[in-house]
Amino acid sequence: MKDIFVLMEHRRGEMRDVSVEMLCGAAKLGGTVVAVLLGKDVDAFAEKAAGYADKVLYVNDPLFENYNSEAYQKALSALIKEHGPGLLLIGNTAQGVDLAPALAVELGASLVTDITALEMDGDKPKPTRTFYGGKLDAHFAMKDADLYILTVREATFTAEEPSKSGEIVKVDNPVTEDISYRKFVEYVEPEVGEVDITQSAMLVGVGRGIREDKNLPVVEELAQALGADLAASRAVVDAGWLPADRQVGISGKTVKPKLYLAVGISGAFQHVTGMKGSEVIVAINKDPDAPIFGIADYGIVDDLFKVVPKLTEKIKELKGA
Amino acid sequence: MCAEEIGFVEKYDLLGCIQCGRCTGGCPVALRTDLRVRCFMYDTQNEERLEELSEKPEIWDCTTCYTCAARCPKGLEPLEVLIGLRSLQIEEGRVQPTVRDALESIFKDGNPWGSPRAKRLDWTADLEVEALEPEAEETTDVLLFVCCTDAYDPRVMKVAQALVKVLKAAGVDFGLIGEEESCCGSEVRRLGEEGLFEMCDEENVELLNSFNVNRIVTVSPHCYNTLKKEYHGLKHPVLHYTELVAELLEEGKLQLSKEIAKVITYHDPCFLGKQNGIYDEPRYIITRIPGVEFREFDRCRERSLCCEGGGGKMWVESESKAERLAEIRVEDAKEMGAEVIAVACPFCLLTLEDATKVKGVEEEMRVADILELLAEAL
Ligand SMILES: Cc1cc2nc3c(=O)[nH]c(=O)nc-3n(C[C@H](O)[C@H](O)[C@H](O)COP(=O)(O)OP(=O)(O)OC[C@H]3O[C@@H](n4cnc5c(N)ncnc54)[C@H](O)[C@@H]3O)c2cc1C
Repeated sequence: MKDIFVLMEHRRGEMRDVSVEMLCGAAKLGGTVVAVLLGKDVDAFAEKAAGYADKVLYVNDPLFENYNSEAYQKALSALIKEHGPGLLLIGNTAQGVDLAPALAVELGASLVTDITALEMDGDKPKPTRTFYGGKLDAHFAMKDADLYILTVREATFTAEEPSKSGEIVKVDNPVTEDISYRKFVEYVEPEVGEVDITQSAMLVGVGRGIREDKNLPVVEELAQALGADLAASRAVVDAGWLPADRQVGISGKTVKPKLYLAVGISGAFQHVTGMKGSEVIVAINKDPDAPIFGIADYGIVDDLFKVVPKLTEKIKELKGA
Repeated sequence: MCAEEIGFVEKYDLLGCIQCGRCTGGCPVALRTDLRVRCFMYDTQNEERLEELSEKPEIWDCTTCYTCAARCPKGLEPLEVLIGLRSLQIEEGRVQPTVRDALESIFKDGNPWGSPRAKRLDWTADLEVEALEPEAEETTDVLLFVCCTDAYDPRVMKVAQALVKVLKAAGVDFGLIGEEESCCGSEVRRLGEEGLFEMCDEENVELLNSFNVNRIVTVSPHCYNTLKKEYHGLKHPVLHYTELVAELLEEGKLQLSKEIAKVITYHDPCFLGKQNGIYDEPRYIITRIPGVEFREFDRCRERSLCCEGGGGKMWVESESKAERLAEIRVEDAKEMGAEVIAVACPFCLLTLEDATKVKGVEEEMRVADILELLAEAL
């Protein structure tokens, strides 16, 4: 069996979890696992990778201080041509989906992106990826090629304890020509508070029931404990307690999180229209006749200032355990 | 689309504009947003600028209340220019997700709320109302055309339910369309989705013409305006419920016996008042309720202040942080000592009721549709 290359992804001093996950997954496929690390003075990452790989190819060069698809593509294609691996795994991340297709075209490799499971048939992978928001699994038969490239979704493989001590091979930078088409400019930090609530997996919706903005920390703590983002009714946005991009409803945003926890929201039709597609709806409201209970899966009829702190505490306790 | 095809100058008679500024002067949203409709009357004469102008966010601030047109000394309709600009955006698919979802839902399910057609009659619950059969032998007097907001919003449903009670009390022979009832398309046209509006027009006219009825009565002034003035080939006369109820009271068919001892004012909906001249019937009805002390807003009848509920504003928020017009309205009502603001439109009901909560006066000031008051006075 030919070698398996796994590209180590790192950014601003941190290695992505998916890199280690891929090394652990690759180790189960049989064959030699080679971690490929491009970077500038990232010896620590080389050592970490060595704990999971049979060999680490480490190119230490200022060119790789920041990710640049052009530089990465040139370096990888040179290394692949030299070592001839049969499979290359790349994380299905912003970097990975930027790099993999171009590399596949250049090398005439067979490519499947965003895989969620993997089996092997000799040297040939049989990957799975999902469709229709996870409702369907598609099993792929890949076109024969000398090299197969897969981009791997996070958590497809499980990271385990390090069990190897691969050799770290320092390689000279194979890229000699200029990188002219793409240039790293700067990292742009998203502004704090700029959350796209339509993408949040969990939302705590805040309504007029919280009475004043100085009570916001009560729900903020709950959201933080849950790992949820804050959303709001129009009443709360109009009062200026939360920014307009948090408004859920007919004139705000339509959200479909896994969990929508409505706190002190009456459940006006204009609000409900924007969140009724949520998977699970929980409502906390002191008025048993509040319309929100009409669509909630679970409801707590009580004063939110009593319930929410207790709930926060309980969630912290469970998460801590 | 290129400018020549659109021909804004001809379509909206832009060269007739004398830039007097009465449109902007009267525009209620100019009180709180950057919209200056006079500028658009001038700037859109340069057809090369249409694309750029259509990208200005303030074109979505217009509530299509019609004050600009009502006051134009040259008989132009400045609001239509803004709708025309919205169309350019819609055609390019550049539209807010909320608007897109509402339009898609109207196309698919006949209502803008993403609710299934099968729930269209949920509001009738245990009221025992009949859906009419198309092409029936016998003529029914009244076909009720129920607005999507009345049919689906639990708050507003109460208005349609009250109408049924009132009509039954007066012994009116009436029926509903049933689940086949679809959005009238008033908001669709005002959001600039001309193609979808044509579909609403065609399909609804065909459906409505298939019923053997004397007249159509709408709950919402928006449906009323559209059915009456914007549809093509509708063979039945169209009334707003205030016209029918006034008639029933006058003929003595509807008796009101219970007192409502409250100070009541009336907020003129733009689509009933300014756009259709129905000012007297609502006032006639309210003052027939025993015990009512009626007071007028200073800004009433053709000068009535728009509530900002129409013209697609359900789905588009203005960036302005200034007080909403509905809040101004509630304050005015409070100042004159009104205990109830009576309305005759689902959008006015929603915006004004919301404003009483924002102002924290929901305990002492009630917003109610005339029909709800009538049902209580039976
Ligand atoms: C054109 C238009 C567009 C609109 N668009 C939107 C929109 O996009 N999104 C939106 O959200 N709204 C929208 N609205 C407003 C909507 O109609 C409602 O007024 C609004 O959603 C109400 O917000 P709320 O539930 O926070 O406040 P309220 O309706 O005032 O409800 C507050 C709730 O908190 C409860 N409560 C109070 N104190 C406590 C306590 N101590 N513990 C527990 N519960 C408590 C009360 O029982 C009550 O049910 C729109 C309205 C109009 C007219």
